[in-house]
This record gives sequence, structure tokens and C-alpha cells, in this order.
Amino acid sequence: MKLLYPRFAQMRNRLKNRDRRMYGKTLIMGFFGILFWAAIFIVFYRVLAYFKGIEIVGAFLAAKLLSMAILSFFSILIFSNIITALSVFFMSEELQLVTPTPYDADELYLSKLAETIINSSWMVALFSLPVFLSYGIIFRQDAAYYCMVLLTLIPLFIIAGALGTAVALGLVKSFPARRLKDIFFLLALFLFVGLYSMFRFMKPERLVDPDIFITVIDYLSVLKAPASPFLPSQWVTDVLSAFLFQKQGEGPGFSFACLWSTALAFIVMLGWCFRRIFFDAWSKAQEAKSIRVKRWSFFNRVLDAVLSPLAPPLRALVDKDIRSFLRDTAQWSQLFILLAIIVIYLYNFSVLPLDKSPIPTRQLQNILSFLNLGLAGFVITAVAVRFAFPAISLEGESFWIIKSSPLGLRGLIRCKFWTNCLLLAVLAEVLIICSNWLLGVDRVMMLLSAGTVLLMTCGITSLGIGIGAAFPRFRYENIAQIPTGFGGLLYMMLAMLFCVLIVMVEALPLQMYLTAVAAGHPLRPGQWGIIAGSIFFVCALSAAACIVPMKIGLYRLSRIESF
Amino acid sequence: MIRLENLTKTFSSFTAVNRISLEIKPGEIFGFLGPNGAGKTTTIKMMAGLIKPTAGDVYIKEWNLGTNPQQAKQLCGFIPDRPFLYGKLTGREFLGFMARLYNVAALHIGPRTNHLFEIFEMTEYGDDLIESYSHGMKQRLVMAGSLIHKPAALIVDEPMVGLDPRGSRLVRRLFRELCNAGATVFMSTHTLEIAEEMCDRIGIIQDGQLIAVGTMKELRAASGSQAERLEPIFFRLTGDEAMEKISDSLQL
Repeated sequence: MKLLYPRFAQMRNRLKNRDRRMYGKTLIMGFFGILFWAAIFIVFYRVLAYFKGIEIVGAFLAAKLLSMAILSFFSILIFSNIITALSVFFMSEELQLVTPTPYDADELYLSKLAETIINSSWMVALFSLPVFLSYGIIFRQDAAYYCMVLLTLIPLFIIAGALGTAVALGLVKSFPARRLKDIFFLLALFLFVGLYSMFRFMKPERLVDPDIFITVIDYLSVLKAPASPFLPSQWVTDVLSAFLFQKQGEGPGFSFACLWSTALAFIVMLGWCFRRIFFDAWSKAQEAKSIRVKRWSFFNRVLDAVLSPLAPPLRALVDKDIRSFLRDTAQWSQLFILLAIIVIYLYNFSVLPLDKSPIPTRQLQNILSFLNLGLAGFVITAVAVRFAFPAISLEGESFWIIKSSPLGLRGLIRCKFWTNCLLLAVLAEVLIICSNWLLGVDRVMMLLSAGTVLLMTCGITSLGIGIGAAFPRFRYENIAQIPTGFGGLLYMMLAMLFCVLIVMVEALPLQMYLTAVAAGHPLRPGQWGIIAGSIFFVCALSAAACIVPMKIGLYRLSRIESF
Repeated sequence: MIRLENLTKTFSSFTAVNRISLEIKPGEIFGFLGPNGAGKTTTIKMMAGLIKPTAGDVYIKEWNLGTNPQQAKQLCGFIPDRPFLYGKLTGREFLGFMARLYNVAALHIGPRTNHLFEIFEMTEYGDDLIESYSHGMKQRLVMAGSLIHKPAALIVDEPMVGLDPRGSRLVRRLFRELCNAGATVFMSTHTLEIAEEMCDRIGIIQDGQLIAVGTMKELRAASGSQAERLEPIFFRLTGDEAMEKISDSLQL
């Protein structure tokens, strides 16, 4: 495996040369990783403990949950392996170095397959561990069970890796790899948006309705039915179920044999395919096809007209950003996520059963509208992490163009702030005004929400641009990678804290106002003072959130010397 | 036109550029030579405003790059050694972008773009996305972009990398014409023949220090060599040890 040596050597050197700041970042990332890991464990532990307590159906439910979890891991693994295989087998820069040498095709194949499997599977392995651990603890398993988890997951990872690589090989043979990556990115996104929407529109809240339990026998029969016996994920479920639920018979042994024999057979068969088609496919992946763009389209004329009032350097930057956004599948496809968020957000408000609540409707409308502010803040934060936070990093390795130009970094940061803030403010106002309209709140609440969310959006955008500038990532394969580091995490934490603070500061004066409205008497002068004070504090906090991160971002960005 | 005063850059304890002072006049092509790791690219990056000097100043005309970056950069064009560009723009859009970035009046953008495309023989590729360009085409586009605002000073890092012989000849002629029109070209190169042929004066940097500056005649005198060509003079000035090692290793 000498082809894997550079990877190990680089990893070792990175670990060896870590400075103090890197340790700090790793510690914080590790802390949040552990937090997330613990959350998965607690959720599964509690759910399984609850299932175990239910007679008759409890074990079936636990088994079904296990089957679904492993099937989900397997689906994620296959998809992740296809995308990783496209990068590892066809776009990796070291191939330019290796292919001209008298390389051993089998060695190249095995090293690339290993790299694909490791890159695609480590995170699934890490975050599936609390699931298996919670099963092990609840169903009182010993070391044999944990060994079996390991022995069944390894072939599952290999099968998913081989399947993903086979699909990638076949597709690159037919289409150019660079376009394929875009297509798969888009497919993954559609899959996510589709599943998310489908799940929401299925109205899972109806499951708590007692009427649904009429069909319990049908329900049990569905639970008992196994998934397809040809699915490797089902083989893993069979083997682990034998330990967890003491199922007897030949099934588990056969499934275990199926897992390993399939994994090994796939490695051999894929190696055979690799030797036959890799070089052709790789050669095709190198071909750059010229992509011609229409010069005088309607779109160009509209864009020119819209941007004409801006100063030339700012116009250049905004024009470049819009064109790059619309031509980059990884960027424009995120609009679908945005659309799904808006539709589902508003749908949630349209189905709220306000009339069934014991709280008076008028009061409930205003309370919900107020809580809606915090929720909208979180949604804007989540959207900004995909758009505002990566804005500076998106300049990529072309950052030298801006830095050597008279525009300067201040101009760059301001331009990114205003374009992002404008778009996010439109989204925020649509969410708030439409949801308030669906709730039927009064005019004061509508104005307060619209004003507050505007201030929040400015602060959130500034945090995104500022922290994104302080922790830029100019070398990336995909835009989705940009917010995954320390900076992204810091931004999410600070932006959410900012939203919570704004909502908390406004809570007291709002309560005074609602009480006064409910009692039908006017506010006292002291109460007006508190309201004015809280408005001042909200404005000051928003101003600080707008100014401080941008200043820090500018300072840190100006000190970056390698890009 | 370009003045460096005690320009210094240190990275932790390592001094990459050590108190370099230089003055390059209008209409001059200045060649900046030195072995790998001598400090050429660091100097050029400081001159282009990409990195901040630890000490010293860069002046473009009367403007100090540190205190008046906007005015100084407006007078400069920069061509890096590796042409990283916006892949999702077309060549024509990129030139429009550069023109606006350097405040070229809208009226002039179209004609100048067409003119530069003609000079660099790229007219037929102007509406193709940059991501589909070859390395040489990108290099030509970067050069066109750096010239769109008619800079008074051109700072170039390795101008011939990735260019075919035709492109290389084109660039040599273009730089000479620019200088004849009063512009200044400051270029770093590893190709001694190009420096010898194109440059009015040459500066040699080694271990971050400027060890020799002057015309060919002045360098010859400084090195104590009677050689006609630049190559032996360069090796005499920078020491022959490295060359001897290369010869030894090739004989193995």
C-alpha cells in the first residue's frame, strides 16, 4: 500500500506540527462532537428503554428501529461513496503524478478503494457507535456483541464502498466527471428536500392521536415483516438481532457469511472492472469541454440595468458573484433548500390548532408571534451559514485579484455584507410577515416583529460575513465544506446566542404590553421607560453585532498571507 | 515609478526579504532574479499589496502602498505566476470585471476588451467559461486583465510560465511596447535568457538580500567575470556550489 503512504505521512505531519491554536480548535470541535454523540446516545437510550418497557410490541419496535437505522446508514454510505469515489478515483491531483509512473493497477485500485471507503465511512462509523452502544446497554450485551458489531460493519462499509465506486466508474465512462459531481450534488439535495418535505407533509403529529391505534394488528404485522432479504443492511440486522433479541436458527450465521462473501466478491469483481475501464474513464475525466455562454441575453441586460446605480468596483463584485452563483450547481441548488424551508415554515403555522388551546386565542397569537421571532432568527442563521458565512471564502484562490486591486478588503467585506443582508432580510420579512398574517396578530406585534427581525438579520449577516472572513477557507472542493470547520461552529453559536438575547430583552416589555391590552388599560409611564430601554438595548446589541464581527473579520483577513 | 525602501519581511524567526532598496524608472524593464527560495515571490507579493511588509515601504509614483493602497494599486497591474481565476465567468466577463474593479469608464470597457482579445489572440474564446481554458489561455487572460486599466507599473511574477513560444514572443514584444509608452515593468524570472534579452537592468536577490543591481555591463563588472552571457555572471554572483551539486548528481 505504498500509494497510501503520502496520506499517512501528511496526516502524521499535521499532527506533529500542530500549534497551540490548532489544539484549541480541535478541543472545541471535539467538545461539540462529543456533545452531538452524547445526544444521539441519550435519544436512542431513552427510546429503547421505553420500547423495552412495552409488552408484546416493544421488542418488535426495537428490532424495526435497528433495521431502519442500519438501512439509513447503508443508504447514506452508498451515496457518500459515489461522491467520494468521483473525487478520489478521478479528480485527485496525485493521479497526475501516479499515472505516468509504471504503477501497479491492483495497488492503485486497492489504495483508492481503501481511501474512498475510509473517507466516506468514518463519520457514519463514529456516529453509529452510540446507536449500537445504546442497544448493547439496554439489552445487556457482553463483549461478543460489540465484536460482532465491528465484524458486521466492516463488510457493510466495504459493500457500500464497492457499490459506490462501481456506480462512479460506470458513470464517468459515459459522462465527464466534473459534470457528474454537480449532478450528484443536485440529486443529494433533491433527495434531502424531498424526504424533509415528505416527512413533514405526512403530518407525524397525527401519530399521537388515539384514533390511530385502531389498526394495531395491522401495525404489528408491518413491524414483523423483514426488509428485503437481499439487502446487506438486513444481513447486519439479522446478525445483531440474534444477539440482542435471542433469535434462534440458522439465519444469523447465513447472513454473516453473506456479508463477508459479498464484500470480498465485490472487491474482486470491482478490481476486474477497474482494470478494464479505469484508464479510459480517467482519461475522459481530464477532457475539458469548452462551455460557451450567450453574450447578449435578456438576463445580461436585466442584470446590467439593476446594477447600474452601483459604483463600478462594487458592481463588478456583485455582478461576478451573481453570475458565479447561477452557474455553479453547488451554489444555486441551495435555493431549493431555501424554498423548502419557507414552504414548510409557513405550512407549520397554517396547521396550528390555535382554537384547541386553553389560552385565549388573542394572547396565544401574540405569544406565538413573539416566539416566532426566535425561530425565524434560527432559520435565518441556518440559511446564512450556507450563504453569508462562505461569501468571503468563495473568492477562493482568486482572492489575489481583490487583494491586489484598489477595491481593498474593506470594500469587499462591505459589498458581501450588503448583498447578503438584502437577500436574507427579504427572506426574514417574508417568513415573519406571512407567518404573522397566518396567525392573525395585531398591528403592533406585526410592526415589532418586522422591525426586530430586520435588526436580527443585519446582526446575523454581519456575524456570518465577519466570522467567515476571520476563518476563511480558500481551498475547498465543495461550497458545503466551507462552514464545517471551527469558524462555522463559532458563527452558529454566536448567531444563536444573539437571537436568544434579542428575544429575551424584548420579552419583558412585550409581556407588559400584552397584559395591558388584555386588561384594557393603557401602559404606565414607568412601563414606557422599560419599553424604551429595551428598544435601545436591542438596537445597541444589533449595532454591536453589525460592527464588531466585521472589524475582527477585516483585521484577520488583512493578516492572511497564504491563499 | 517604483521605489522600494528598506523592504523587509520576516516569518517568525526567518527573514525572507532583508532591507531591499530599489528604484525603477518610467520606461524601464527591470528583471528580478534569484535562486529558489531567495525571496523573489515574497518581494513581489509585498509590491502587489498581497502581503504586508514587516518593515520598509513600497512607493508607486508618489503613493505609499502602505498608507495609500487605493491610489497606489490603481496605478499597478499584477500578474501572478499561477493564474487562479473565476472559473464560472467567461473571458469577456472577467475583463469587464477587472475593468470595473480598476474604475475604467463604462464607455471604454467594450473597445479595450476587444483590443486586448485581439492582441492576445483570444477573440474566439471570449465567451467560453474560464474553467474550460488551458493553463496558457488563463495566463494570457490574466495578462489581458492586468492591462485593461492601462497601468503605469506592471508587476509580473514569472511571465512565461505556461506560455507557448508564440505567446512568449507576444509578451516580450508587448512589455517592450509598454515601456516605450512610458510604463514600468518589474518582473521576476528564472529564465536568464529572457532577462538578458528583455531587461534594461537586473537585480539579483539571494537569501533575502539584493546582492547585485545594474545593467549587464555593471553586473559583469560587479562579478569580475568577462563572460558575454548572463548565465555565468549569475552563477558567479550567487556562488557555484549548487550547480556543482547538480552536475555531480546527474553523473551518478
